[in-house]
Amino acid sequence: MLRSKGRSRFIALCVAPAALLFTIFMIIPTLNVFRMSLFERGAYSPTETFVGLNNFKILFNDTKFITSMQNTILLIVVVTLITFFFAIVFAAILTREKIKGQNFFRIIFYIPNILSIVVIAGIFSAVYKPENGMLNSIFSMISGRNIMILWKDQPIIVVSVIIAMVWQAIGYYMVMYMASMSAVPVDLYESAGLDGAGRLDQFFEITMPLIWTNIRTTLTFFIISTINMAFLFIKSMVAPGMLDVGLSFMYNQKDAGLYGYSMAAGVVIFLFSFALSALVNQFTKRDVLQM
Amino acid sequence: MKKILSALLAAVMVLGMLAGCSNNPGGEGSKAPDSDPTKAPDAAQSEPVNEPAGKPLEGQTVKVAALSSGYIDAYPEMWAEVCAAFEEETGAKVELVLEKNLEAVIGPSMQGGDYPDAVLCATGRPDGLTEQFIKDKLIADITDVLSMNVPGEDKKVSDKLLGGFTDTTLTNPYGDGKTYLAPMFYSPCGLFYNADLFAKNGWTVPTTWDEMWALADQLPEGQYLFTYPTAGYFDAFFYALMRSFGPDFFNKATAYEEGIWDTDEGKQCLEIVAKLASYTNPVTPAQANNNDFKMNQQLVLDDKALFMPNGTWIVGEMADSPRVDGFAWGMTALPASQSGGNGSSFCWIEQIWVPQGAENVDGGKQFVAFMYSDKAAEIFLKGGAVQPIEGITDKLDGDNKMFYSIYDNGADAAMGGFATTESVAGLGSIMEVFFDPVNTLVSDPSTKDAWISGIKDANDQYRAHLVG
Repeated sequence: MLRSKGRSRFIALCVAPAALLFTIFMIIPTLNVFRMSLFERGAYSPTETFVGLNNFKILFNDTKFITSMQNTILLIVVVTLITFFFAIVFAAILTREKIKGQNFFRIIFYIPNILSIVVIAGIFSAVYKPENGMLNSIFSMISGRNIMILWKDQPIIVVSVIIAMVWQAIGYYMVMYMASMSAVPVDLYESAGLDGAGRLDQFFEITMPLIWTNIRTTLTFFIISTINMAFLFIKSMVAPGMLDVGLSFMYNQKDAGLYGYSMAAGVVIFLFSFALSALVNQFTKRDVLQM
Repeated sequence: MKKILSALLAAVMVLGMLAGCSNNPGGEGSKAPDSDPTKAPDAAQSEPVNEPAGKPLEGQTVKVAALSSGYIDAYPEMWAEVCAAFEEETGAKVELVLEKNLEAVIGPSMQGGDYPDAVLCATGRPDGLTEQFIKDKLIADITDVLSMNVPGEDKKVSDKLLGGFTDTTLTNPYGDGKTYLAPMFYSPCGLFYNADLFAKNGWTVPTTWDEMWALADQLPEGQYLFTYPTAGYFDAFFYALMRSFGPDFFNKATAYEEGIWDTDEGKQCLEIVAKLASYTNPVTPAQANNNDFKMNQQLVLDDKALFMPNGTWIVGEMADSPRVDGFAWGMTALPASQSGGNGSSFCWIEQIWVPQGAENVDGGKQFVAFMYSDKAAEIFLKGGAVQPIEGITDKLDGDNKMFYSIYDNGADAAMGGFATTESVAGLGSIMEVFFDPVNTLVSDPSTKDAWISGIKDANDQYRAHLVG
């Protein structure tokens, strides 16, 4: 009795710091976001006025917000599909095939992930530069005439942002999949090979089902992080007002002195990302296979 | 024993993480002698008694927050020296926060109610911190500073200030004759160009817009009339453009008068911007972001664009950039709206102000007054920062002398800007409505009508939400 009492006290003590920090820095601010979305106030103003759901009413009629959310969804869908496709393919190639310099490629793919967004924005400035930029120079060299694509101008700017985001994200997810792929027992592949299954069959029948749990988890991570990353990329790469996503819309409202309105946008984005993750989780449910 | 150890470790973890959150802006704070609250007694306590040499702020602390702008790159010790001079003069202790991203550093602590006593942060910055303080009426009235003596001198602040600088919405945002923001640095804005290119080709700098378009039509392939660093630079440009249609039009337009954009002048104003967009180097919008704007400025150095709107800081900003042989900076006012008229140039002003919630408002005011002292002005000049003080233009040399003489050469000065309005959800800012769409206008001229109707709509809504 005494022992278990001490034990639970010990457990409580161990959990307390994390729980405390989580409450102070996650739960309270989140609740505060919901509260503030019902008020209108300037960022530095000590007074606030209760406006009920008015902020939300305006928000859903604000064409800028609607376009921003459309852009967010576009980025989430396209970036996720492309990133996952390449991450899985590269991971499969690097784990299953014998290629010289495997580690070298692994590092190369991973590097973008450790760079800060500011550095990435700088790199892509050079890549997308209209005159003598890397991409335009390569295209001009191949085609033999002077090609001048304005990568950071409408309407192609979305594509440019997508390319940068994919480039940044592939490495991390590739390494994650490589880890789970190398946990798949080799004898499975050997026996499948003896039964006459080709490389592609092996990939779809063995590799994919066995790493499915991993893919599911990372998919949820990725969707949430894309919402954040899209904001950082837009802020650092794109001219103000040219292409907005949900979070950059929210940020601009704060700068315009509309704290409550900005929090209302925050609430919508918060609920949106939760709903999206739940949906993705639901749709990707499969029976878990044991290795 | 093990349990105690674990508990201790857990406690250390909590403390460690909480310590990481201490909100000392700037970082230097921890190095500075501690800002013990008892050492910063309120003004009433520390007034006369213990000042033998008449140091008015002996024992007080004045917290100053200043934006680290291009001037600091030119002369990094600028602010430290000015603060030292202020300390010597008044006996106060200055705590300085000098940051490039000032809003991000002092913003959070101000939200928590900890205000600096003087803030150098101009309106028109992307974060709009100063605008928000104006809208919410959180800035202390500093009209009395104008009649104060400059610390260490026997002249009043208003005697030293150049005329006209405390008459605009930039310093008197509510139009009630009271001054809330002090004009700190000023800089004429205009169109910058390569003077050598004009001399070589025998071109004259256009004085009317018709001459401007004529010049554009004779440019060789690959050379364009215009570029701009980012769409944000259109604000100074647009104010000057409005001013070139007369002070009357300027005042009406900045007060959002009804139907102002349907008048002849209003239509012409927008028409000029749209036409200029069609003569803009097409790569401009692709580089008009905070990362690449220097590439647009480079277009002028490379003779790929003739003019760009900018401020006098451009010379320092592009000092290390490659340029065509013989390049020489030239600056001109905006062309006149009709022949025989005056050109006009926007006078860009950086303001210093005292938050209402500051602990030491009087100290803040003294600091503002000291900014106009000869000592401070001399130090600021070393960084190329020019203040609106009588006789200052005589002390300038080089490019700056040419730039600041723009008003002596017949250009009208445009001062002030659009009147302050409340923030309204769903209503874009001036920047979003007037200037950001210029990027799209350059790449897709068919958006012109949408841009103009957006301005007209917003004009009506702004008028309905004027502050003051």
